[in-house]
Amino acid sequence: MTWLFDAYLDGRTYTTLAYMLAALPLGILGFTVVVTGLALGAGLLVTVVGIPVLVATLLFTRASARLQRRLAWSLLDAPMPRLNRERDDEPGVFWRRLASLIRRPGAGRELWFSLLALPLGVIGFSVAMSILWLMVAGFVQPVVVALGGESGVAGWTIDTVAESLVFLPVSAVFLLVGPRMLLGWGTAFGRAVTGLLGRIAPVELKRGVVDVLTGAGDADGFEVLDGLRLRFGRGPFVTPIEVEAALLALESSGAIRSIRRGGRVSYRLA
Amino acid sequence: MDEFAELASRESEARRIARRQWFWLHFAIFAVIQVFLAIVWALSSVTYPWFIFPLFGWGTLVAAHAVFAFVVRTPEQIMIDREAREARPPQ
Repeated sequence: MTWLFDAYLDGRTYTTLAYMLAALPLGILGFTVVVTGLALGAGLLVTVVGIPVLVATLLFTRASARLQRRLAWSLLDAPMPRLNRERDDEPGVFWRRLASLIRRPGAGRELWFSLLALPLGVIGFSVAMSILWLMVAGFVQPVVVALGGESGVAGWTIDTVAESLVFLPVSAVFLLVGPRMLLGWGTAFGRAVTGLLGRIAPVELKRGVVDVLTGAGDADGFEVLDGLRLRFGRGPFVTPIEVEAALLALESSGAIRSIRRGGRVSYRLA
Repeated sequence: MDEFAELASRESEARRIARRQWFWLHFAIFAVIQVFLAIVWALSSVTYPWFIFPLFGWGTLVAAHAVFAFVVRTPEQIMIDREAREARPPQ
């Protein structure tokens, strides 16, 4: 029982609610800007005007993804990788920076997320609002009817206080389990956002492996994993699968070499 | 294969199993709802087979999910699977 009531004292319940409230307008904004920007930019591509429109759209998706990552991390407690902001753009002339903006790892994923943010925002908002409404509706309805108002459910008009009390038990149950449901919904939503936006591009990961090996001299897989977790943070984005794949790719490209000592394999820069 | 590579290989296998389990859950929900819709259609007086629209619409998504669960492998999984295959003693 205390497990249910603890959710009222958990700050994450309220931050989840705040996230769900923000998800809908942010989703609408992201979808509208990206669809309009892509359609307008592609349509005007034959003239010079299309290029800055497409660039502005890409810059918007990047900023929007950063905001979404930050919101999911701070409000939903969703794990997000610490990505180096300065490395996003290559220095140099405009065309080189433009090419790096398009080729940037994760650019496509961020673009897709801007489009997906609308249905996700609608679902997130609707579920959160439904839980909230079910928590209070049964208590609000008798007051509304007592004050002379009336309401209805599926063609049934509720115009007496006795009728309005029918929904009181439903709201009583939701008052008990609602905050816990909100917390669960926030966790599930956070996992989805981490899966969509919290991925480290293989090139970033390889760069991280090289940096870890530069600092450590030589290290085995577990030490590299620890080093990468220290750098990017703990989460489903740095797991033995990604690390092993990065080590194998770097080894086959000749950037690092493996040393076998007994049953252990260590790596060092070639 | 050292201990870390084995860990990666086991995790890769666990992810594959989880992906297939999610697909079967999706398929079960799809099947139950489609049967329910077909029963509603059969019991109603409407002759037009409207239930085929969700059947094909959602069915396409289920087929795509099946491809993702059983066929598609991430580049990381391909590399780890290849390493595990190479490390296996020849039979």
